[in-house]
Amino acid sequence: MFSVNSFGQKQIPSIDLLDFQGEKINTTDLLNNEKLTILSLWATWCVPCIKELDAINEVYEFWKEDIDFELIAVSVDDSRSHRRAQALVNGKEWPYKILLDVNQDFKRALGTSFIPQTLIIKNGKILYQHTGYQPGDENYLFEKLTEYEN
Amino acid sequence: MKIKIFYYLAIFLIYCFSFSQNETYISGSLESNSQLLQDDNGLNFFSPQDNLRSNNYFQLDFQNGNFSAGVQYESYLPSALLGYSEIYNNESGIAQYYFKYEDQKNEIKVGSIYEQFGNGLIFRSWEDRQLGINNSIKGINYKFFPSSNLEISAIHGKQRNGFEYSNSTITGLNSDFDISSILESEKIGLSFGVSYINRFQENTEVINAPENVNLIGSRLNLFLDKIYINLEIAKKGKDVLVNEEQIVSAKEYDGTAMQIDFGYSRKGLGINSSFRRLENFNFYSDRLSEGNIYNQQTISFTPALTKQQDYMLTNIYVYNSQPRLVINDIEKRVGEVGVQNDIFYTFNKESFLGKYKTKLAVNFSYWSSIEANFNSDESYDVEFIGNGKRLYKDLNFEIKNRWNKKVSSTLTFVDLSIDKGVTLGGPLGVQGNIDARIGVFELNFLDKNNRNNRIVAQHLWTNDDKKEWAGLVYEYAVSNKLNVFVSDIWNYGNENDLHYYNIGGSYSNGPSRISLNYGRQRGGLICVGGVCRFVPESNGFNLNLSYSF
Repeated sequence: MFSVNSFGQKQIPSIDLLDFQGEKINTTDLLNNEKLTILSLWATWCVPCIKELDAINEVYEFWKEDIDFELIAVSVDDSRSHRRAQALVNGKEWPYKILLDVNQDFKRALGTSFIPQTLIIKNGKILYQHTGYQPGDENYLFEKLTEYEN
Repeated sequence: MKIKIFYYLAIFLIYCFSFSQNETYISGSLESNSQLLQDDNGLNFFSPQDNLRSNNYFQLDFQNGNFSAGVQYESYLPSALLGYSEIYNNESGIAQYYFKYEDQKNEIKVGSIYEQFGNGLIFRSWEDRQLGINNSIKGINYKFFPSSNLEISAIHGKQRNGFEYSNSTITGLNSDFDISSILESEKIGLSFGVSYINRFQENTEVINAPENVNLIGSRLNLFLDKIYINLEIAKKGKDVLVNEEQIVSAKEYDGTAMQIDFGYSRKGLGINSSFRRLENFNFYSDRLSEGNIYNQQTISFTPALTKQQDYMLTNIYVYNSQPRLVINDIEKRVGEVGVQNDIFYTFNKESFLGKYKTKLAVNFSYWSSIEANFNSDESYDVEFIGNGKRLYKDLNFEIKNRWNKKVSSTLTFVDLSIDKGVTLGGPLGVQGNIDARIGVFELNFLDKNNRNNRIVAQHLWTNDDKKEWAGLVYEYAVSNKLNVFVSDIWNYGNENDLHYYNIGGSYSNGPSRISLNYGRQRGGLICVGGVCRFVPESNGFNLNLSYSF
């Protein structure tokens, strides 16, 4: 009659995020599918976050050739800096889907204390997560992605 | 009261586990930040008696179909970390809880509520643990979505202040309307929003002030293909003038705010410009807490609009927004006005610079006091911009390169001038400026084992304040989970030649992270998202733990 899901794979919380046009997008609608998704929590003021997304950008096309996945970068910039986010994303030629979490509801629901926080998600479940970024970490992320593809 | 929370929570859980057809999801997180302080004669720092301090947060959330609930336990025992508001000291317990129901058309939440209207100009309640801010509203929040392009919401309650509540009642209404859905064009977007906030605070025997203070705001967001323009204006009704918890004038003053953002972006180029004018525009849930240094009980959200930097020496002289009206014998000012501009550019792949993946970011900001003339009856005549004292100006750029698969670098340069009152405290516009230039070179390279080495060399040049600073950081990724660092910033050229050394590391594995460091903390402002907190100099160990499930 009922079941509890907690200590296995964590379910993505259902939160409304915004795109740059101000359209609401619900995380459950977005992520409850079979596609493998990298979800990265970042901010314009977070140097390692930008490093990570820049680094993935350089190998993004090659990864895409091997694996069918999508990268969604959720900015936790508040209203001070989320305007800068749009300029930054275009200026850096990031090909990712960018969403905004302007009052950090999503970050809070995930229990995230530090960014960058990088997650691999499939069917709305968190398969893998990592906090922080050091150059080279993206290779490990790719290994994990390959692992979960099968 | 706390027993009641558990009672309601128990009912909720019994519902989830007994009657509901849906799966129940349980999630939560733990964050613990502790410090062990020790005396340091070099810094002239004497550790307090309670030299082991700890801030802890445990959050637990349940979700079942359309229902969700959660609690947050916090403890600050025996005292909060140095530099946090004293209201947290020696406190522990259930600080927050909520129950929520949502369906396609409605969302109802009771308990502790985080919410913001528009960009938060007249209202934002949020949590920032690094800043010691949690100004959630305990009450009820109702959102109604009559159609996909219209949202109407209301909030009513009392604002959290430490483990207690502010003695006013806050009521708010907000509506957002997306007009572009009618236009049915992907290249044109137009949306409109209005908000209202009321603070009701009863007078006391000694206070005779407006019991109701109202704020209204409206905003318009427009985008046309590659261009966007956002306008926001707000007005605050008449309120008393407060300084250090005292009403300092018999007169009452209203306030205004205006912000315009303009942007253009295409692949490889992004431009953003912001203009903002704040005249007597800060608002708190308790009229007497106006201007408090710990940012407690804030209702309006007016952060500094400057680039937030992330290096040690670029964070010494940071701007903090100045929306206050101050009229006293030492200083008179009505608020701030200024601009910030950003350009982000990626060089074409075919060009020489493009071969090395050159990315450029340039940022410029200029903030000054609004010009005003003060009359003998404590009224003032104000210009829209005028020629007020400059408070801050900053031109900075950042060039990022990837030289090959293993080596990348970032060069940052900042040229700034800041009013001494803004950064060191005291009256604004009369103590002179600090002019400083900062250069930072960061190099990252993978060694033969593919482990990253990070070196950051930085220098701050100035003839003012504490003179010159030099800094060096070395960080090594032992594995993709463990990294260690050693750093020093050296303040020289003045009488107190001081080194602020630090050594530490962090281990991160899935949802858990632990970091430990030992060293000296430089005193000054710590800023997150344009909101700043002052931290005193100290010496000791810091331990941070976080885990989520």
